[in-house]
Amino acid sequence: MANVEQLLRDKVEELLKEKKVSCVIGHARGSTAFRSTPVFARSEADTDGLIFDITCGNNLAQYLRRCDRAQGDRVGIVAKGCDGRAVVQYVAEGQVKREDVLIIGVPCEGVLDHRKVRDRVQDRDVSRCRVDGETVVFEGKDFEVSMDRSDVLSDSCKRCRYPNPPVYDVFITEPVEAAPEKCGRQELEKFEELGASERWAFFEKEFAKCIRCYACRNACPMCYCEECFVDQSDPQWFGKSTDLSDTMLFHIVRALHTAGRCVECGACERACPLGINLSLLNQRVEREVRERFGYTPGLVPDQIPAMAAYNEEDKQEFIL
Amino acid sequence: MSKVLRLDKKRLDEFVAALFSRYRLFGPVDSGGLMRFAEVESAGALRLDIANPDESAKGIFFPQTETLLTGNQGEVVPTQEPDRPIAVIGIRPCDARGLLMLDKVFGTGEHNDPYWTRRYRNALIVTMGCSTPRAGCFCNWLGSGPFSTEGSDIALTDIGDAILLEPRSEKGMDFLKGIPCEEASAADLRKAADIKERAESSMAGKVDVSSLKSALDRAWDSPLWDELTGKCLSCAACAYLCPTCHCFDIQDEKASGTNQCRRIRIWDSCMAPLFTKEASGHNPRPTGKERLRQRVMHKFNYFVDVYGEMACVGCGRCIRSCPVNLDIREVLVRFINAG
Repeated sequence: MANVEQLLRDKVEELLKEKKVSCVIGHARGSTAFRSTPVFARSEADTDGLIFDITCGNNLAQYLRRCDRAQGDRVGIVAKGCDGRAVVQYVAEGQVKREDVLIIGVPCEGVLDHRKVRDRVQDRDVSRCRVDGETVVFEGKDFEVSMDRSDVLSDSCKRCRYPNPPVYDVFITEPVEAAPEKCGRQELEKFEELGASERWAFFEKEFAKCIRCYACRNACPMCYCEECFVDQSDPQWFGKSTDLSDTMLFHIVRALHTAGRCVECGACERACPLGINLSLLNQRVEREVRERFGYTPGLVPDQIPAMAAYNEEDKQEFIL
Repeated sequence: MSKVLRLDKKRLDEFVAALFSRYRLFGPVDSGGLMRFAEVESAGALRLDIANPDESAKGIFFPQTETLLTGNQGEVVPTQEPDRPIAVIGIRPCDARGLLMLDKVFGTGEHNDPYWTRRYRNALIVTMGCSTPRAGCFCNWLGSGPFSTEGSDIALTDIGDAILLEPRSEKGMDFLKGIPCEEASAADLRKAADIKERAESSMAGKVDVSSLKSALDRAWDSPLWDELTGKCLSCAACAYLCPTCHCFDIQDEKASGTNQCRRIRIWDSCMAPLFTKEASGHNPRPTGKERLRQRVMHKFNYFVDVYGEMACVGCGRCIRSCPVNLDIREVLVRFINAG
C-alpha cells in the first residue's frame, strides 16, 4: 500500500499544481491508527497527509455536494468502488455533473469495521496498523494483535461485487479483481429462512438500540434530501421518541427511500455508534430492484434510475 | 473519609442484593455486544468487568424519551415515578462527574427540574474505578482521573479477587453499615494504588486546557470553524453519547395504540438542523459550521461562564463514536494553539 500512497500523493500534487482540480477529497490518518478521517487537499502542501489503505471506510462522495468550489472548478475524489458508484449515481440523479468531478480510482480490497477492531484490540490505542497478506496487524504500546482480515472487514466489503469505481479519470496502480467467492449473500439468504416472527424479533432487537442520532443517514451518500422526512416539522410526519414504533419506521422508510439508489457501501453501518445491523433491509431491497427491474445503481452515469424510469414491461403482478 | 472495606468477590452477589433490596438498581449490561446501562435485578446480568460502557449513564436520570404527562379529554395525568430511589453500580468516575454537571443545570441552579431531581437527589452512586481507560479517554485533561471520586457515594476498586469499597458520602457510609465487611489490609490498599497508578500512566499525554476558555472567547469568527466543520456529518452521535449534553425538546403527540395524548421530553442536539429552526422558517444556525461552533462553545465556553467549569468529562465517547473521526481533542488543541 505504501506504493499506492506515494503514487496517490504524487498524482494529487500534480493535479493541484496543474490546476486540473481545485480540491481533492481524500483520506488522512485518524487519531488512532485504525481510523482514517476525511481531508480536503487544496494545495500541494496538503497532499503529504493523504493515505489510502484498509482504514479508509468513509464514503467521500457526499462531500462533493458540500465542498466549496467556484463555478467551473473541478473537484477530485479518491474513490473506492463504492465512492465511485455513489458519484455515478449522483450523475444519474442529476445531483452532480460528471465533468465537475475528477474520479481518482484506488485499489480497494475492503475496509475495516472499526468497531470490530476496537473489540479485538480491547480498546487500546493503536499506533500502527498494517496488512500482511490475509492478516491485519495492530500495534500499540506493549501489544501486537494479529487478526484474520475477514474477521475485521466491514460486512459490506465481504459482499462487494464492485471494488473498483465503474468510471474513473485516473487510477492509482491497477483495478483489483472482484473476488467471486466473496460475493455471496449468505446473510440475507439465511435470514430469509427464518419465520416471519423471528425476522420481526430480529429487527425489533436491532432497532431497539437506535438512539436516533442519524449518523447512518448523514454518512449515507444517497441520503441527500435538503430536508429529511424525519426533520419535517410542518407538518411533522414522524414521532421523535425512541419508542420502537418510531425508530423502526425511520429505518424502514429510509430503506425505501434508498431503494434502487443504495450503492451498498456500508457507510451507514460503520457510522452507527451502536453497531445496528442496518444493511439487511437494504440488501433485500437491492435484490428486489435488481430482479424486478434489472437495475443496479451506481454503474452507468447516463442510465435512468429504476425509480425514475417507466417501462411497460415492468412486472406489475402485485397490482393486478 | 472513612476507612476502606474489602469485599471478597464471592460476596459480590450479596452486595448487589443489598443494593437491590433498597434501590431500583442500574448497571452496565451486555446488550448484544453493545454495553449500556440498564435496570437489573441481580448480579448475574451486570457486567462489572468491562471498560467504560458505550452509552453513558445519563439516560438513567435524564431518559432520552420521557413521558411527562398524558391527557385524555381534558384530564391531565402526570407520570408517576416509582417510589424506590435509584442506585447505579459500575458507573465510571467520568460519568459520575457528568451527573454532577447535569445536576448544576437541572437540580441545584436557578431551575429545579422535578423529573431530574426526584431521580438524582436520593440516588446512590456506586462508581467503579477505571482500571482500563479506553482509547480516546482524556479525563486527565479535564482535572479528573480514572479513579476520581467526585459525585461518588461509594467508590469501588477491583483488585482481582476482591473489590475495595470506599464510602465517599454520608449516604454511602450509611449503606455500607449494613454490609458486614472486613477492613482492607495494607496489601490490598497497595494493590489498589498500583492499579490506579497503572491506569493513570496508560492514558495518553495530558494537554493543559487552562487557556481554552479565553481562546474561545476570541474564536467566534475564527476560520478554524470552517476548516473543522468540513468533514463533520452533523449527526448527533457525539451529543447523544455524551454524559453532559443535556438539550431537550418537548412535544405533544398521540400515545400510540390509545386515544390519549402524551407530552414527551426527548433529547435534542445542537448538531441537528431543526434545533434552532424558528416558526418563520428562519434558522439562525443554518449550517453545520454554526452548529459545531455551538456545541464546542456551549461545552467549553458558555458553560464555564454560567457554572464555572467545562461541560466535558473526557469520557471519549464522542471520539470513539464519531463516524469521521472528528476528534474533540484535536478541536481543543487547535483553538488553544490559535490562542
